[in-house]
Amino acid sequence: MHYQICVRCVMDTTDAEISFDESGVCSHCKSHEARVAQAPFSQSDAGEKLAALVARIKARAKGEYDCIIGLSGGVDSSYVAYQAIQLGLKPLAVHFDNGWNSELAVKNIERMVKKLNLDLITYVIDWEEFRDIQRSFFKANVIDIEMVTDHAIFAALFKLAKQHKIRYILSGTNVATESIMPKAWQHFKFDLLNLMAIQKKFGQLKVRSYPTISIWHMAWNKYMSGFQSVPILNYLPYKKEEAIATLKAELGWEYYGGKHYESLFTKYYQAHILPKKFGVDKRKVHLSDLIMNGEVTRELALKELEKPPYTESALASDREYICKKLGFSQVEHDAYLNASAVSHFDYPSYAKIAMALVKIYRKVQYN
Amino acid sequence: MLRIRVIPCLLLKGRGLVKTTRFKDPQYIGDPINAIKIFNDKEVDELVLLDVLASVEGKGPNFEVIEEIANECFMPVAYGGGITNLEQIRKILKLGIEKVVLNEAAFQHPELISAAAAEFGSQSIVVSMDVKRKLFGKYEVYRARGTKSTGLDPVAFALTVSKLGAGEIFLTAIDRDGTMEGYDLELIKQIARAVPIPVIASGGAGKIGDFREATHCGGASAVAAGAMFVFHGKHRGVLITYPEADALKQAFL
Ligand SMILES: [Zn+2]
Repeated sequence: MHYQICVRCVMDTTDAEISFDESGVCSHCKSHEARVAQAPFSQSDAGEKLAALVARIKARAKGEYDCIIGLSGGVDSSYVAYQAIQLGLKPLAVHFDNGWNSELAVKNIERMVKKLNLDLITYVIDWEEFRDIQRSFFKANVIDIEMVTDHAIFAALFKLAKQHKIRYILSGTNVATESIMPKAWQHFKFDLLNLMAIQKKFGQLKVRSYPTISIWHMAWNKYMSGFQSVPILNYLPYKKEEAIATLKAELGWEYYGGKHYESLFTKYYQAHILPKKFGVDKRKVHLSDLIMNGEVTRELALKELEKPPYTESALASDREYICKKLGFSQVEHDAYLNASAVSHFDYPSYAKIAMALVKIYRKVQYN
Repeated sequence: MLRIRVIPCLLLKGRGLVKTTRFKDPQYIGDPINAIKIFNDKEVDELVLLDVLASVEGKGPNFEVIEEIANECFMPVAYGGGITNLEQIRKILKLGIEKVVLNEAAFQHPELISAAAAEFGSQSIVVSMDVKRKLFGKYEVYRARGTKSTGLDPVAFALTVSKLGAGEIFLTAIDRDGTMEGYDLELIKQIARAVPIPVIASGGAGKIGDFREATHCGGASAVAAGAMFVFHGKHRGVLITYPEADALKQAFL
């Protein structure tokens, strides 16, 4: 297969499913455009839509809080919290601690909760169990190790929302800076069947306290109790640079350099495991989104991509820490990096049925 | 050291960290290695790490966990839990831990304090004492994580261990543990006045001002805090924190 890169964004044929039109523009930036065009903030009545959403969230509050926000210390979730307060909402902040927090992330959360006067609950996952599941995903050689975290965050938020009688989760997901994602570069996060199958095959511990949620349970919650996750940033014109500047100025917040680098594991996963083992450079996705969002020029993005994702010294020390925490020897870890990837679909999965359902859900989510 | 030491006190239960309230209801707060990495970046003065099960279950120190922790720590660490003999102390110090904390041993084999001080120097030997306030304000030393009364008077006990060669006393007010309602100043005063060695105040710290009280009014040489450095707000959300250097400097002026 010959190499090709989009003339507008920086997505290329490292995504096997990418397609280009006759002028060399790729399918990803086109879908970015389409998704942005559909989002509430692009409509002429964007202001009314947001006001109506806020009114609905407030009106449906049953307890002390009207919504729940997952705080990671990263830009998107921090900005959601900031906006929620600006909009007069009463959020419960939940931080999910999976044992990989960086000091900077924790410090950002501290600044947020203090300055915005947020009530905070930390969902601390049992590290021994979590580690065992992460280890299983390494042993399974599947690409989406982050599914172990992402699934649990959502499940934990659902659990806590229920406990506190909250109907809305305000999520940081947004079309402006997160539209592009090749299918093969991640797996469906709610594929509980897949997660459990991998853990059953490779794990040493039984899943006891790790929070899980099945798609059936999610659907039930949504349709029976009107429980839902709202991508609130899609109701606002969202620019990453502006969000960072606002958070810095208003809350003393600090950037940690790199999307999702607030977690030590995520940094290593994105900047080393993905490129090394799976031939995936996620920076292409983030930069392409930013190009489409008018925040970065293509020239600058290309220059950024020429740099290695890790400096030598940071890589060495992070690698040692990651191996130590996960209980892999350097030799085992090298063998892992060199072993071929295995598809998530080689293990039991209900992702295909679920994705079909999600497509329907996406169509109705702004209603 | 220019100012008074401010020491996070972490409780180890098995391989996880917990935080208790009045020595009860241990709440899981996560992986010690991650917590220590964060405390490293926050440049804390010193850490006290106590294994709450090691003595109670009679297992002795878990050297594997101690080694992992020692390898991760940039700051000086004092370890306590399950230590009953010199050989264990030797091993722990060799792993890179700066001080050992003796508690149960002070009741069962007080001669261990002298022997350890003789071999490793008093500066490496901390004796911890857990004290409960009884009716009519009388204090009593408790052992086995506050479950067994000893009938001992704290001042007499502190004097004894100090004479045996302890280099420091880690003094915890059981009734204040995890409450963040402030230190037991009366208790700190009584002990600090009586012994010639440094007293580390523990139990009850909830704000920076409490540190100043413990040292300026109570006479403590150093202060320790648990809940204050790991919890935030009314839901006690786990959030590792440590005061900024400026704030601490200000507090002890
Ligand atoms: Zn493109």
